[in-house]
Amino acid sequence: MRRIWTAAALCAAGLLSACDGSSDNINLADSRMTSGLVDLSAANAGLSPAQSQVTDGIRLARQTTFGPTPQVLEQISKLGTEGWLDQQFAARGSTYADLAVARRIDSCKDITCTRRYFSRTTVAMRFYANAVSAPDQLRQRVAFALSQMIVASELEVRSAGGIAGFNQLFLDNAFGNYRTLLKAVTLNPYMGRYLNMAGSSKTAPSENYARELLQLFSMGPNMLNQNGTQRRDATGGTVPNYGPDDIRGVARALTGWDRARIGNVAITNQLAGDDVKPMIPVPDRYDAGEKRFLGTRVPASASQEASIDAVVDAAFNHPSTAPFVSRHLIVHLVTANPSPNYIGRVAAVFADNGQGVRGDLKAVVRAVLTDPEARTAPRNDRGKLKEPVLAMVSLARAIGMTTDGFAFAMRDTGLGQPVMNAPSVFNFYPVDYPLQGSATLYNPASKLLNSSTVLRLHNMMYDWTVRSDAATPEFKAPTGYGAASGTRFAWTTWASFGDNVDAMVAAVDVLLLGNSITPGQRAALRTAALAINEKNSQVRARKRAQMLLYIAATSPQFLVDR
Amino acid sequence: MTLSRRDFVRLTAGTGAAAALAQLGRTAAIAAPSGSYRAMVGIFLYGGNDGWNMVVPTDDRHAAYQAARGAVALPRNSLTPLTNASYALHPAMTALRPVWDEGALSLVLNTGTLFAPLTKATYLSRPDLRPSNLMSHSDEQAHWQGLRARDAASDGFLGRMADRMPGGRLPPLISLSGSTLALIGKTAVPLVLPPSGLPGRSGYSTRDTAKNLATALLADSEGGPIMDGVRTTLRDTFDQADLANSVLSGGNSVARHFVDANGRALTSDIAAQLLGAAKMIEARGTLGHSRQTFLLSMATFDHHANQIQGSPIAGDHADQLRALADAMAAFHRAMQALGVGANVTTFTMSDFGRTYASNAQNGTDHAWGNNHLVMGGDVAKGGIFGTYPDPVLGGADDITNEGRFIPGIAQEEYLGAIARWHGVSNADLPYVFPNWQTWSTAGRGPLPLFR
Repeated sequence: MRRIWTAAALCAAGLLSACDGSSDNINLADSRMTSGLVDLSAANAGLSPAQSQVTDGIRLARQTTFGPTPQVLEQISKLGTEGWLDQQFAARGSTYADLAVARRIDSCKDITCTRRYFSRTTVAMRFYANAVSAPDQLRQRVAFALSQMIVASELEVRSAGGIAGFNQLFLDNAFGNYRTLLKAVTLNPYMGRYLNMAGSSKTAPSENYARELLQLFSMGPNMLNQNGTQRRDATGGTVPNYGPDDIRGVARALTGWDRARIGNVAITNQLAGDDVKPMIPVPDRYDAGEKRFLGTRVPASASQEASIDAVVDAAFNHPSTAPFVSRHLIVHLVTANPSPNYIGRVAAVFADNGQGVRGDLKAVVRAVLTDPEARTAPRNDRGKLKEPVLAMVSLARAIGMTTDGFAFAMRDTGLGQPVMNAPSVFNFYPVDYPLQGSATLYNPASKLLNSSTVLRLHNMMYDWTVRSDAATPEFKAPTGYGAASGTRFAWTTWASFGDNVDAMVAAVDVLLLGNSITPGQRAALRTAALAINEKNSQVRARKRAQMLLYIAATSPQFLVDR
Repeated sequence: MTLSRRDFVRLTAGTGAAAALAQLGRTAAIAAPSGSYRAMVGIFLYGGNDGWNMVVPTDDRHAAYQAARGAVALPRNSLTPLTNASYALHPAMTALRPVWDEGALSLVLNTGTLFAPLTKATYLSRPDLRPSNLMSHSDEQAHWQGLRARDAASDGFLGRMADRMPGGRLPPLISLSGSTLALIGKTAVPLVLPPSGLPGRSGYSTRDTAKNLATALLADSEGGPIMDGVRTTLRDTFDQADLANSVLSGGNSVARHFVDANGRALTSDIAAQLLGAAKMIEARGTLGHSRQTFLLSMATFDHHANQIQGSPIAGDHADQLRALADAMAAFHRAMQALGVGANVTTFTMSDFGRTYASNAQNGTDHAWGNNHLVMGGDVAKGGIFGTYPDPVLGGADDITNEGRFIPGIAQEEYLGAIARWHGVSNADLPYVFPNWQTWSTAGRGPLPLFR
């Protein structure tokens, strides 16, 4: 198994020529693995699927990775929940650092160059290559969750280096301190361009970053109780956390920053802005007067650094920030409908990790994932709909895939979730997007599941299973994006199930369906597999596996994690 | 009944005439276009369109406009004039000038989200009467779409309209710009289509009985409402896709109208969306639709910086308004060619207006009241509704010092007028517009938008 991760890590590090298909993948038909899968029912004797330890292992894999694989399930069963989390907290492997290179916007002479350096593509490819096979799965999931709360998008700022540097912040700080992340984001030049803090001047400050820092990145618009419920005033109305004067005060405190210039040319040179290095002070644009906001007073003549720190502290230390950030992480990792008590327990850890430290994300993530509400079967009226990115990558990981990510980056726009290209700072979907027909439940990812995307999702599942033997261009290594390996499927491992269709069905159930299928569904899947009667036994087994994976991946049971 | 523009301004300006306005609204909406078919086409301009640069006063107020707006102010001689009006459109919106001249375009001034009528004094003294979280994109979008100015909404006005609308072979509520709150009904489910049409369902054959049975059985699991919702979405999509696709991809007579003044095909996303709507309207008979409701959108109007580039009439905002105007005018011509020019009403919405004052980066910030456009062969000729705010920063209508104007017209009075024209009964108006009571009494009521 180590060999697989080594290969994956090399891919992730950009040494993509190493991923030429010679790399091993886990052998699903390895006797240890298949017997484990086939014997599931025995292991869980006396327990309903929802109660069983195996099922909770799968649940934990769905919450902490981009989808269960035999390796992950084996590790979880060996290490237990806490041991698995400890292993994941220590794991590294994903990086965008090598892509985070600043370039003058006049540095390209042709469209190939522009596509490579002034679009999201190379960074999105890396995102998917990492998600499919890099070992630091939980770090990536938390980074992905944070990147959907603190949003900057290629839609308005096209810069591969900037996107890479910005997203590296989430990987680096996923288990660090939230204040460190907030400050790094505030001075990040890509965000600076996206929400116009870069260039904001005392003569008439832009309020864009100031407002979204408070509304989306920290406290939210309304005063919250620690359990995430809204505070109410005497009339029953919500209580705003800030008003126009606070926004104005924060905006003034954030004036006087701009991107550094490549080659140290004049700050007025718009061609040479550095999208990677932290922004630099431009003292003559800084409003050095007294600022007041959110109960904070920044005295006249305070330094620019002091003003930034005062803003970051005010956002970070606000009482609503703990439940606001906690809820976001719960929604993205576990459930869109947490109880107030669950939010309250996590928010308490955000406020104090037990050692007097506020904003310790490692402790927060551990609290999110070890909470009883995460570690037991959800109520029957709950469940978490997979967002398209998770659906796509989960299938790939279940099949066993090595990829440079290109096939994914070509598909995600049609599925409504092009990573790093959100439609606005409000992300692809809000955490409070309602469940159709319910006045109380949320179903955030359902904003991305409609007639427009369902067929594309279905066809992607079909193309990546039943039709994956075809020499489709999307699986080839693309040219013009640096070293690339294309996409390969580990069908030989599935073929080695041979005619053991029961084992194949069990594997599909565990990897895609959460160990949840009924005897009737099991029988129907078996019949569907047996309907395939190729003469060649290898081809027969492969095509049966592809059919089972296709049927499972297009089912509601796969799309909703329970 | 016809009224001059001045009459409308007079009526909406004074409280004394407000009762007459409400009365007028009740009668004006009865005038029927030919046949009973109606469609309303909403265009949401996400991010907060700068309506103060979409509709600009050309009289003495232009000096105050120029002074307050600074760098982003449009020179008077650059504007697209509107015959017999003291307002003009953005220079990039010339395509709408003939629509105005024809009497098929109306302006709605300074409208926005309101919980109750407010003056600057009552705004300042009664926080409990303000919409919650003014100037927040997400909250103000939710107020526009959910029509609950002080509460979280779990459904939207177009969805609630569809709850009470006759159906057809496809849902009569159609989005060409994804899912959003406005479309969610308590029971109605919208059809969400990409303008380019849907792909087929790969590999599907009714003869694959074993595969299809397994698929059906896997969809049939006990999973509660979230799983049920997914199951329903998948099933409906597969049921509806072929028919929807045949409409979008099949022959049509409307595409040829989607060209610019030089005859070149329009390539913007909003043009593609309006073309998609036009195709569904052309197919209304096949679809069995006596009513259709469409939601379309444009994104990235949040110009905190670089709203203009080079000169005040150039840049991202100008490009967006040009695309909008070109596409709206083309759509109107297509509707006329179908003989339903007076049966279709197109209207704009947006998060909020922007600050009247510009900032140091040639941008504008979040504000409140905003100007909007209504287009169709049944709208009042030369209609200008509402009152332009006092264009002085910190003045009578400004809740700050940057030009954030209190709306004079509530969304209910604006959108309610269109909904009623579309066929929402008086009995259903409070269902569609939860705060209808406030906006249908005490001299308030739907705008007399129609002939």
